[in-house]
Amino acid sequence: MSANKPHVTAASDRLTAGQMIAYGLGSIVNNLLGAAIGFMSIVLNVGLGMNPALVGLLQAIPRLTDSLTDPVMGYVSDKTRSRFGRRRPYIFIGALGVGLVFALMWQLPEGHSESFYFWFFLAGSIIFYMFYTVFATPWVALGYELTSDYHERTRLMGVMNFMGQFAWITLPWFYAIMENDRLFSDSVEGARTLAIVIGIFVAVVGIMPALFLREKFIAGDDDSDEEKVSLLAGLKNNVSMFMKGLVTTLKQREFLKLCAGTFFLFNGIMLVGAFSSYIMIFYVSGGDNDMGAQYMGIYGTINTIATLLAIVVVTWLSSRLGKRMTFMLATAVTLVGSLLKWFCYDPMVPWKILLVAPLMAVGMGALFTLMGSMVADVCDLDELETGERREGMFGSIYWWMVKLGMALAFFLSGYLLNATGFDVALGGAQTESTFFWMKVYDVIIPAVAAGLSIWAVASFKITEEKSEEIRAQLDARREKAGAEPATA
Amino acid sequence: MKMWKIFIRISFISLFLSLMACQDLTEELAGIEPADAKKITITMIAKSASNPVFQSARIGAEAAAEDLSDKYSKISVKIDWRTPKEEDPQEQAERILNAVEDGTDAIIVSCSDDSILTAAINTAVESGVPVMTFDSDAPSSKRFAFYGPNNAEIGENVLDRLVSVMGESGQVAILGGNENAPNLQERVKGVMKAAEKYSGIEIVGPFYHVETAEAAVAEMKRISAEYPNLKGWAMVGGWPFFDETLLNEMSPGKVNIVAVDALPMQLGYIDKGIVDVFLGQPTFRWGEVPVQKIIDKIHLEKEVDEYNQMKLIPVWKENLGGWSRQLRAWGYRDVAVEYLTK
Repeated sequence: MSANKPHVTAASDRLTAGQMIAYGLGSIVNNLLGAAIGFMSIVLNVGLGMNPALVGLLQAIPRLTDSLTDPVMGYVSDKTRSRFGRRRPYIFIGALGVGLVFALMWQLPEGHSESFYFWFFLAGSIIFYMFYTVFATPWVALGYELTSDYHERTRLMGVMNFMGQFAWITLPWFYAIMENDRLFSDSVEGARTLAIVIGIFVAVVGIMPALFLREKFIAGDDDSDEEKVSLLAGLKNNVSMFMKGLVTTLKQREFLKLCAGTFFLFNGIMLVGAFSSYIMIFYVSGGDNDMGAQYMGIYGTINTIATLLAIVVVTWLSSRLGKRMTFMLATAVTLVGSLLKWFCYDPMVPWKILLVAPLMAVGMGALFTLMGSMVADVCDLDELETGERREGMFGSIYWWMVKLGMALAFFLSGYLLNATGFDVALGGAQTESTFFWMKVYDVIIPAVAAGLSIWAVASFKITEEKSEEIRAQLDARREKAGAEPATA
Repeated sequence: MKMWKIFIRISFISLFLSLMACQDLTEELAGIEPADAKKITITMIAKSASNPVFQSARIGAEAAAEDLSDKYSKISVKIDWRTPKEEDPQEQAERILNAVEDGTDAIIVSCSDDSILTAAINTAVESGVPVMTFDSDAPSSKRFAFYGPNNAEIGENVLDRLVSVMGESGQVAILGGNENAPNLQERVKGVMKAAEKYSGIEIVGPFYHVETAEAAVAEMKRISAEYPNLKGWAMVGGWPFFDETLLNEMSPGKVNIVAVDALPMQLGYIDKGIVDVFLGQPTFRWGEVPVQKIIDKIHLEKEVDEYNQMKLIPVWKENLGGWSRQLRAWGYRDVAVEYLTK
């Protein structure tokens, strides 16, 4: 926060509502694609009778390939020189491709063996994730570079995160839609149709950022003077450059602080995500699935509304307190909410747990609003230090870390649940020690993770003043080099 | 444009589109039943309406009916509760025939006496009404399926759990309830069979009695006096603990006890350490599972297994709180608050 004069966003740095919404549409597509397979995969088991372990494997393998392709795509996008820009061509092609593949991969023919479905779906998933990467990595990078203004970035990320929540609202309905006996004969037919609808939506909405946004950094390094080299030498050179870029990115301390902050908060909450449901059903509701589901539904609705409100408040607050302080404050609210859960899991007064839902939402609402904006600030610092704009590399590594953490959280949560002694055959009649440890994990892990997240971000150095300093130096450097200053 | 205006516009447009696109789901959320949903009436005839275990089964059946109506929009499932106030197999048989005359779509019944009910069940089935039994079967009737416990396995489980708390040697008495009840006979056989695994266990009994708390307590006292070295009780029913007589008369730890049933009025015996383990019956599922199976058969046209086994849930001091809350969730209203908060 500037102590001397209020911040005024230059006209050239302002984004119109249309631009923000166009970028935000990409967020709906991104979130939808990220989670749709998981939400629809139940059909493979329930509809086609596939072994749940194989279904789990189908979720895991493509994510591994995805985690490898993300940084490569970031690098490729950063290095691309075309008259349409470094990001938009990929977003356009990626959205069309991923929509088409998504629609096709669910057209599972009936009457085949389990291994047929496994290999069919595995091949489809790998191609799907490749196109998903082609779309998502440049789209993330585009968000970092749309504006150079410290606060306008937060507003953009606020709109993006706000719009992205609508994907999360629709996702839980997927199973009900596929199972709707008035629309479809069975869930497999439901999945086929739903996939076509989602595919069309993704293709149409996903290309909007490519059509309606303009890139800031189209001009840059001119490769025309580079020596002509053989294909093999060129490939070797590219791999070497990629590795160098990767290492440089991973050495950027401010970036690592953001990664750590995200890793702790996001995965701390994800790790025990399933625990809340178990505690609600088996402890608070005494094993009554309907009652537990009802409370979880209300909790989820309050959480979603609170997340939307939190995004608006956090966006506003960060222009007053700065991004770092706002993030720490929001995360502290979640930390308190997490600790309060201990007292609010009350079988005699089940609704008490609803009181913490808004508090838990604040941290998550702030996370992807502020982190996106702060990573964009890091990209400026990185340009000052390296002379390159590498939003693609930063974005891909940031999200790679999120995905890796998420996979780890899913993997560990099963072990953690077993460690409590939970026995599904006992229903609500779990032992006191099982309930005790479930509550301990559910309360302590997110609270400690939120504390670590605050600690990681507390020393983040790019304040508003620092950001303006960096930008002035970059503008001066660009002017000297004959390029335009960073204006939209 | 101001930021908050952008946020509000996005919210309104999204809400409008969602409501337009999901009219079907909106109706469901509002609890509106589709007008053309086919009504399916399932008549439920338990043994006795005054017995809380069957009230819990009724709650299970109604919950399942509601869930299935929500899940399959083409049907609306209703439970038609026709259980006699007190146990009366003759009245149960009459009610089966009345339900058929009234046009019920299916019947679920717990038989007080299968020899009396078999004919009524067969008449219903021959009239095109599928019948499923729960808790107490009529195996020679034309019912298509049964849901209930494997009584021999329960007996084995009782002794195995008793051995795990008292050790593999000592005298064990079997309390057997009504000598003529086939389910109890099977449980007793199960206890005897399990005892063969332990050379140090000496079985005394089985001892039968009228199925009231007073008669069971009297029999227990008589046997205890007759066998002063008795180390454990294997009870195939929980009759002595249906009232509080023994709560003040027995000292915890003197003998080990494992018994079937874990109803609210019996929980104090676990809390005081008089009973080591109860094997609780998930009575809610007596109603829930048969209703699901009926819909599987008559609406989804799925194959239903003839025998559907109900597993009992062990209750001991460590999970007394959890079991108490589970009982409350299953519709038992008389669970003591002190156990609910454990």
